[in-house]
Amino acid sequence: MTTRTEFLGSIRREMSKTRGLFETHPVPRPPDAGQAFEMVKRQMAERWPQALERFREEFERIAGVFHRVARLDEVPGAIKRIAEARQAKSVLSWDPGALGLDLRKSLGPEGYSVTVAPDGDPDVPARQLHRDAAAQAEIGVTGVDWALAETGTLVLVSGRGRPRSTSLLPATHVAVFDRGCLLESLEQVGTMLEALHADPARSMSGAVINFITGPSRTADIELTLTRGVHGPKDVHAIFVEGR
Amino acid sequence: MKASIMITCLGDLLFPDVGVAMVKLLRRLRVTVDFPPGQTCCGMPLFNSGYHHDAALVAARTVKLFERAEHVVVPSGSCAWMVKTEYPGLLKDDPALKAQAEALAAKTYELSQFLVNVLGVTSIDSPFQGRVTYHDSCHLLRGLGESRNPRALLRGVKGCELVELPGSDECCGFGGSFSVRLPDVSTAVLNKKLANVESTGAACLVACDAGCLMQMGGGLSRRGSRVRAVHLAQVLEPEEGE
Amino acid sequence: MSDAHLETPFPERAHAALGDAHLQEALTIATTKFIGLRKESFEGYPDGEALRDRARAIKEATLQGLDQHLERLADNIERLGGHVHWAATGEEARDIILRLCRDKGVRMAVKSKSMATEEIELNEALEAAGVKPVETDLGEYIIQLAHEKPSHIIAPAIHKTKGQVADLFSKELGGRFEADPEVLTAVARKELRQKFLEADMGITGANFAVAETGTIVLVTNEGNGRMVTSLPRIHVAVMGMEKVIPTMTDLMVFLSILARSATGQKLSSYTTLVRGPRQPGEVEGPEELHLILMDNGRTRQIAGTLREALYCLRCGACLNVCPVYRQIGGHAYGYTYPGPIGILLTAMLKGNAAVKDLAHASSLCGACKDVCPVRIDIPRMLVELREHLDREKIAPWGERMLFGLARRAMASPGLFDAGVRLGRMAQRPFVRDGKLRTLPLFFGKWTRTRDLPPVAARTFSERWKEIERP
Repeated sequence: MTTRTEFLGSIRREMSKTRGLFETHPVPRPPDAGQAFEMVKRQMAERWPQALERFREEFERIAGVFHRVARLDEVPGAIKRIAEARQAKSVLSWDPGALGLDLRKSLGPEGYSVTVAPDGDPDVPARQLHRDAAAQAEIGVTGVDWALAETGTLVLVSGRGRPRSTSLLPATHVAVFDRGCLLESLEQVGTMLEALHADPARSMSGAVINFITGPSRTADIELTLTRGVHGPKDVHAIFVEGR
Repeated sequence: MKASIMITCLGDLLFPDVGVAMVKLLRRLRVTVDFPPGQTCCGMPLFNSGYHHDAALVAARTVKLFERAEHVVVPSGSCAWMVKTEYPGLLKDDPALKAQAEALAAKTYELSQFLVNVLGVTSIDSPFQGRVTYHDSCHLLRGLGESRNPRALLRGVKGCELVELPGSDECCGFGGSFSVRLPDVSTAVLNKKLANVESTGAACLVACDAGCLMQMGGGLSRRGSRVRAVHLAQVLEPEEGE
Repeated sequence: MSDAHLETPFPERAHAALGDAHLQEALTIATTKFIGLRKESFEGYPDGEALRDRARAIKEATLQGLDQHLERLADNIERLGGHVHWAATGEEARDIILRLCRDKGVRMAVKSKSMATEEIELNEALEAAGVKPVETDLGEYIIQLAHEKPSHIIAPAIHKTKGQVADLFSKELGGRFEADPEVLTAVARKELRQKFLEADMGITGANFAVAETGTIVLVTNEGNGRMVTSLPRIHVAVMGMEKVIPTMTDLMVFLSILARSATGQKLSSYTTLVRGPRQPGEVEGPEELHLILMDNGRTRQIAGTLREALYCLRCGACLNVCPVYRQIGGHAYGYTYPGPIGILLTAMLKGNAAVKDLAHASSLCGACKDVCPVRIDIPRMLVELREHLDREKIAPWGERMLFGLARRAMASPGLFDAGVRLGRMAQRPFVRDGKLRTLPLFFGKWTRTRDLPPVAARTFSERWKEIERP
């Protein structure tokens, strides 16, 4: 079995043969992560309305369904409408602490079966239970870390109470976000990611970050586009105006 | 204004009319034309097939042939490309030859580039009449970045109706030795090109490269098509009766 | 599939492909669509050209610090609880995976699309070891059922019509399915959902790995990449070592042009950034993460002719515009990677002799270089490969003789003129109506399908004397 030293050794040997042969164009280093992060936050505090409009355009262009409500407590109503249109009854949600809403309280009494992600460090049985629920659920409700206007992308960081499968296994994904999530460009997303990884205080509790740009799709058969191959068939984004 | 003709091997052997038309055209535009003797080939077939040592020998002699030329005008995009882009690299081991190659590269022009960029003309008087369509030869288009000038020159001919060729930037399938190494594939690519050509309803297919004209002309002729494949020079300076 | 198909010479394989009507139809539809999608995407993206330049610069700069970036990547992954393996060869990479399967009791592995695993023929090795590999990318799923290899770098089943897919599903899965992509997609979704939930191991490739953060990046559309990296208890990622990039900022540059080049999308449906195995507090995710960094011929090119081919993002754009690929499809090439970049990658992985025919499967039109997101100069490297084949005397002697003659004629006007006179004489019996319609021997390869103008009665050089006067 090749060791790290051997592997890198052979690379270094080859690299040494090319010394001076290739022009070096220094690639721009990312600016100070913390400062850049603050600058983006300041910019977006002002520019969020334009970003929202652009986000809506791009999101709808990739078959996303956009909703707008005035207050957080109107979100369950919007989810209900989505569920009715799909004749869906089972809902999977992020932990209420992560989502900012407890759908068990608002949708449970209306006849919906609601499962929420466990908080804390779930043991094996708890994980299996959640997996079974995720496999059955028809609607998955999550929050959003960043909503990228340039491409209509929802960026979700996984972690405690924020499972990856909520936005993946159910056929319908509903994402709830507000003005603080909006970003304009991929470049800004890069800035946020640099800051996220650089600052331990901001560090994520999960191992995966997902960029979700519309529903699951494929064109593998004759380049005919179909949706909902393995991931959700529909993606809804609910913008909450109030802070 | 002086111009030396680099006739190219295919131009010399198979399309001498194109060379003659080019000379007449240039003289009409008050260019003094000469023809350095002893020309054979630019060496591109050798280069493309990987015989670089041999190609360098050919490049070296070509560079010497055109030493005293003021401008070198070539009726073929691929040959102009070869001289302008590849000669200096082929001769890099001999600093004197390399310098000469760079000098030659700087003063070598494909015909349409010479007419528009050096002589500054786009509107050339020609009795040519008819609907034409234009094929973008790969080395002229991608190698020399030229797609505008030939079209401008064609539009500049009053009796000429230029119709855009669908897929004009797609290869005709010639590729030099490719055309005989993989003749089936070359022909399939050609057939696709000719289907597009015939869809334009043009009477003439115009190109600025002898290889392309050989391939497309050969295909058109084989299928008894009424479409003629001609060089740009033959539209700008048609022979009597064309 | 063994290399048995390679016993048929390439020109014959190409010829067979040209005669396959289904294939021709499928290729025309697919490549034309891809070309349009990419074109539209870049036309609406004024920043695109500068970003391509920047992407290329990042790739070059990364190569110049490759060892350091790989070390950083490995340190970060290990710090997060992942494992890094170093595979000098494809065989080693396979052995590492097989050993993991044995040690961890893996019986079934779900795979998301990975050309790196195709390159090392992983599925055959897994099956031989009693582990069931299940391809979950729809295109890969189709070709797995059909016992075929991918025919395109990003759309593996593009050579199949929907009718063929319907027949395949009906035959292999039992049932009668309509030739409707919606219906067939739903069938695959249902079949594979259970597999994701039951699999012991998830195997992926990696589009990028960010050194500074230890992140493995997967660019997908279907969601299977996400399933495979979250549901099974072990995740194994196989990655060519040249895919490492320095920072998240760099990643954004590549993401901005990759999907556009491949499918015309601004971004693919899912870009998944994986940083280590399941973290405490997560309800799902693999217990173990293994990244296998693979050399398999790549290191040798750092100082080699094919260095630039190490920039490749595996987007497939060059395939779609290649006049040869568009006519013969991927299988005729005979190796894992088809199309223009495929010829270079095959030389990289299997040596120059493997491409003695393929190096000439190009008209050098340059369309590939035009569309490559990182502006790889594929035609230049093809010509250099041809030069190696010449130097190593791999080209057939008949060809070398012919070119030797040509070279002498080009070097000597006397010989050239003699050749012209000889040609004029020799062609006389074959000239009909001012054209050459059939010619013997080697020249027949042209005249079989095309006419040829004869050598002129008087060449331009010969006519110059009359028109010489100013």
